[in-house]
Amino acid sequence: MKRHTLITIIGLSLLALAFGIRTVLAAPTVAPVSKASALHPNFILLDANGANVLESNNAVSTMQTCGQCHDTEFIASHAFHSDLGLSDYNTSAETWDSSDGIFGQWNPLTYRFLTQDGDERLDLSTAEWLMLNGERVVGGGPATSSRDGSSLEDLKTSKENPETSILKNGSPTTWDWDKSGTMEMNCFLCHLEAPNTEARTTAIHAGEFGNANTATLIGLSIVSQSSEGWAWNAEAFNENGELKSELIGIQDPTNSNCATCHGEVHPETDEPLTLNACDLNYPQTATTGQVVSGQRINESGVNLTDKNDIERSWDIHAERQLQCTDCHYALNNPAYASELQSNNPDHLIYDPRSLEIGEYLQRPDHNFARGESAQFNVAPEYKGTMRRCENCHDASKGHADWLPYIETHMDAVACETCHIPQMYAPAIQTYDWTVITTDGKAVETCRGVEGDPNKVTSLVTGYEPVLLNRTNIDGQQLLAPYNLITSFYWVYDDANGNSRPARLVDLETVFLDNGKYANDIVSAFDANGDGKLSANELTLDSTAKTDVVKTKLEALGLINPRIEGMVQPYSINHSVTRGEGAINECKTCHNAGSRVAQPIKLAGNAPVMPVFDVDNNVQGSGELVTGADGALYYQPIPASDNIYVFGSSRVSWIDWLGALAFAGSLLGVTGHGTMRFLSSKKQAQGAVRTERIYMYDIYRRFWHWLQTTSIVILLFTGLIIHRPDIFGAFSFRGVVTVHNVVAVILVINAALSLFYHITTDRIREFIPHPYGFFDDAIVQAKYYVNGIFKGEGHPFEKVPTSRMNPIQKATYFGILNVLLPLQMITGALMWSVQKWPQFANALGGLPFLAPFHSLVAWLFGTFIIVHVYMTTTGATPLEAMRGMVTGFEEVEVK
Amino acid sequence: MKNRFPSWTLGLLGILLLILVPVIYYLPRAKASTDPAAHIPTKAVHVDHKDIVKGEFKTGQEVTRACLECHEDAATEFMKTTHWTWESKAFDVPWRDEDVTIGKINQINNFCIGSQGNENKCMSCHAGYGWEQGKETQQANPENVDCLACHADTGAYGKGLFGNPAEGVDLLAAAQSVRATTRENCGKCHFDGGGGNGVKHGDLDESLYFPDESLDVHMGGEANMQCTDCHWTEDHQILGRMIADNYTIDPKEQVSCGQCHVDQQHKDERINTHLASVACQTCHIPAIALEDPTKVTWDWSQAGQEGREDDHFTYLKIKGEFTYEKNFTPTYLWFNGDNEYRYILGDPLGKDGVTYINKPAGNIEDKTAKIFPFKLHIAKQPYDVKNNYLLQPVTSGKDGFWTTFDWDSAFELAAPITGLDYSGEYGFTETYMYWATTHMVQPADKALQCESCHGENGRMDWAALGYPGDPIEWGGR
Repeated sequence: MKRHTLITIIGLSLLALAFGIRTVLAAPTVAPVSKASALHPNFILLDANGANVLESNNAVSTMQTCGQCHDTEFIASHAFHSDLGLSDYNTSAETWDSSDGIFGQWNPLTYRFLTQDGDERLDLSTAEWLMLNGERVVGGGPATSSRDGSSLEDLKTSKENPETSILKNGSPTTWDWDKSGTMEMNCFLCHLEAPNTEARTTAIHAGEFGNANTATLIGLSIVSQSSEGWAWNAEAFNENGELKSELIGIQDPTNSNCATCHGEVHPETDEPLTLNACDLNYPQTATTGQVVSGQRINESGVNLTDKNDIERSWDIHAERQLQCTDCHYALNNPAYASELQSNNPDHLIYDPRSLEIGEYLQRPDHNFARGESAQFNVAPEYKGTMRRCENCHDASKGHADWLPYIETHMDAVACETCHIPQMYAPAIQTYDWTVITTDGKAVETCRGVEGDPNKVTSLVTGYEPVLLNRTNIDGQQLLAPYNLITSFYWVYDDANGNSRPARLVDLETVFLDNGKYANDIVSAFDANGDGKLSANELTLDSTAKTDVVKTKLEALGLINPRIEGMVQPYSINHSVTRGEGAINECKTCHNAGSRVAQPIKLAGNAPVMPVFDVDNNVQGSGELVTGADGALYYQPIPASDNIYVFGSSRVSWIDWLGALAFAGSLLGVTGHGTMRFLSSKKQAQGAVRTERIYMYDIYRRFWHWLQTTSIVILLFTGLIIHRPDIFGAFSFRGVVTVHNVVAVILVINAALSLFYHITTDRIREFIPHPYGFFDDAIVQAKYYVNGIFKGEGHPFEKVPTSRMNPIQKATYFGILNVLLPLQMITGALMWSVQKWPQFANALGGLPFLAPFHSLVAWLFGTFIIVHVYMTTTGATPLEAMRGMVTGFEEVEVK
Repeated sequence: MKNRFPSWTLGLLGILLLILVPVIYYLPRAKASTDPAAHIPTKAVHVDHKDIVKGEFKTGQEVTRACLECHEDAATEFMKTTHWTWESKAFDVPWRDEDVTIGKINQINNFCIGSQGNENKCMSCHAGYGWEQGKETQQANPENVDCLACHADTGAYGKGLFGNPAEGVDLLAAAQSVRATTRENCGKCHFDGGGGNGVKHGDLDESLYFPDESLDVHMGGEANMQCTDCHWTEDHQILGRMIADNYTIDPKEQVSCGQCHVDQQHKDERINTHLASVACQTCHIPAIALEDPTKVTWDWSQAGQEGREDDHFTYLKIKGEFTYEKNFTPTYLWFNGDNEYRYILGDPLGKDGVTYINKPAGNIEDKTAKIFPFKLHIAKQPYDVKNNYLLQPVTSGKDGFWTTFDWDSAFELAAPITGLDYSGEYGFTETYMYWATTHMVQPADKALQCESCHGENGRMDWAALGYPGDPIEWGGR
């Protein structure tokens, strides 16, 4: 009995243990919570004819299906992701851009030119454009409609029409839209937890556009594809013929949904992040190196320089659980009502008359709030509608504990400049289409990586973005970080007289012969004669090479083939870091080698001098320079954007002039002093009668020495601010504070002193007497150039009521009435830039005021040299100085 | 006087003051940083006892007698500590009429269960000799205090049966090796408690003898902190209490991060807002048992199988079946430092099938509670089917279960010792024991990040903690 019980107990316990403990142990790890909305009901999947796909076995129509509840017509017509520029398609003879969106805007990276009606040569037809770009096209817009707005399927098929043709083996053939179908706006792509983007892409690349949306559902136990067509799985539907919504997981778009088209996003925490670098399937990452992930960089799988020390996350906003849609929201989403009320009358803080949730769900505006990026111009009317840094963050509070001149900084520098100091992923540097690789691609160069960007053994170094001046929609100009991508390409004039980029198919004819380089190309390019074209050889670095290609292009009938180049800025707004990781050292910018003026490499070899892309909101005000390494660089010139950066910006002629004056006076007094010394040896000593007089009362001595100390400190700290690179030991911020505080002391001292001199009437001592001034001055001057060497007495007696000779009076008159006020005013204006920039701007802003202030400072320095020297011309060299210290001075008496 | 200080020096002084005072007032100041290391107590340099201690010693008691010649109060001080009594102060617990004490001396856990009747084995971790004399006699004699357990070089000393020195230990060498207590001394019992390396604590095991900084930011690397750097010790009273062996714990008796990390806030305000609800340990100890695995389940019901092969990590005939885990996510509970419940011998089993050996106190309403990481140890341990309480077997010794593999006799032997009647019918029931995780602290860059807890894949069970949903969206308490 006992044994029996024992066995039973053991058996039961084992069972209990197996289940119980397993479940209990599993309990602490919470299963991932599905974000899919439990509210979304089951729904019938309809085909294009409005029939249940279960019965028709057709492809699903998203417009019909989702249109049962949502106003899909409204959605599709209010969605620039769908429109992609189609609605403002307009051919232009001036530019190659027939629209603002990727359907029509020529992009030197993707290169192919969307052929316009009437073009001599067919390059990219609508169908091929869709095949090439379709995986990143949501559908609707150019995927269903022709350029004039009619349905693609209604077009009369003709191989002359770029909308109904496609390039096959180098020549145009017709494209049958009825057969391929078209691609409706694909709601599934962004609103499903796990859309099958792979199957969708396969359908699109195969030109089966009508199947693309249904392919998105493959693998969800809903539908499968066979040679017969679509087979819908009856078990996925309930008794009412409705799809069980839990199978499809309808949700708000997540970062992963956005990442399908935009760039690298890494939502998982534990799995180390790896990158698809410089890959245009991840355009945002490829063009800038932006990565959206909350993972710490040192925990990622990227082979980065000094990775262990990089404790920051790839993007603080991703780390803090923000979703793309938190800033790029649907424009009529009532949750963002307060953001959308900027047009309210001033007195109205909040207008409660916003959309009800139900109305919104029926007609959600799919024009999403967007930023002001340089290259993406679709729906320009929505630029600047998104939540930006300042909508959520109060920079004046966030920086209050350390950053001086907050307003000045914020008025000149975008948040991104400091908070995206470094990119940790490679980004495209150069796309050279003047030569092509054997697989028909441009020669690509990536920055921020040593070696092949997608090889795990390559060392990713990252790069520092270049700072360019951006003009916002509201007119504000801010320095912001950018990547610059330089592209080179052949251009020709077609028979219509329009210039066009050379077609890839023509380049392939020129360069390739059955997938290998043509013999004449090899013989022209192969410098080392090994029969292969290495990376060094595959570049147009000699006119001989260029001419070979040019001749071959001409032979194809291309008129006037020539190389052009363009430098395009790509905005960097993501991959943000918080305070500790941001630029928070003054000297990063306020020093020699300032970040503000840091150049960025454009291209190792430039077949032509590229032009800076003008079709955006970024000022390419710097210059293109060839570096010592022969490469082409972009050198920002902050001054041309009216930016003056203390410690970095300098006007060299002012410094030269100032230094010259300073050195000249030093030389002069040294010479004069030497001569005095030599001549004094020849003369008998003690011939002059002197008398001890109480020359300077206590206040005069006090204000003099206070002023002396202030001026010396100001000159010294000013010099450090001007050239922090020479005085590395000093804290820039501390020195600026000392300069400001001492300046205030100087001004107060000067004001009190002025008050004293006016009230005591002693101001007269400083005013040169007009009568006989020149005579007296000449007498005094003669003394300095002549008499002083002969031991003659001073021409004017120094008495307490008249201590100064005419030249002194004139000098002080100048110093006190011109130099000092100028320095005070310019200094105060420079200081006031943070609060009242309008005053400084009225006088030319910092770029004028700051160099002027420097110039006057040089003159003050010069004055001090002469002034100190002059004090040695008293009864004895140190007598005047002693007088200013003790008040009593031995002066010559006649 | 006047000659020494000419009047102009006053003016100079005035001018300097006029400039320096405002400049210094406005000069940006770096915030004073508080160096936590400054709070570590400085200890007197230990005197080398090599030439002081003279032998010969035949028994441990003789060594102690020699120690007490100079350190007169040492034994009386030590005998007041729980390291000697193995028993807490008396607690008034709501489910009992009389006050109870808790400790290894009289209560059970869900590892080796209980020490009563098992003194020959268990007392190898007691800092005293002579348990063969019985508890009363042993506890009364100051000479039974084992100074060497905590002060001798662990390489020169070891303990055997009944708390006495192990066979073959050179007591003179051991006595001459005495020094300030090191991690090795504490580790002997606290790293190997429960019968082997890392069995009990998930955060204390032999990997801490020579830890890297990445294992423990305090004990590892250059900091090389010793246990007593945090477990401050005065008159042999060591700061710090285990919730396993207490009911409530006075915060004054507990070690806390704040002892050294005074006013040390995170630079990130967002993190600081967590401090009201989240213990330091929760973020800074992201995982348990980083290097050596720790026991997470122990099924006594499987003990005694004939012919099944022994394996330290999965099965031992004398102990049953186990599972070990390493580098795993802790269990998170609200914790205010006390127990809500501590099983007292004779308590009835839990009603829902699980009996808690201890249950940390705290909930979302309790403002003193914070979310805290625990190692949960789940056991299947014997109970009296009729009397409905947990049983403590005699396992060691020649009549114990480990020799006879007969549960009945093991319980019958224990009954007079524990004072709990054995009905003759036993079963096995599931018991939970929670171990607070406070060691193997990680530096900031290895601490948890937002998404570790918040968002889709977070590790917190918000509903179980009492939140309506992820507080990043639903708001905190």
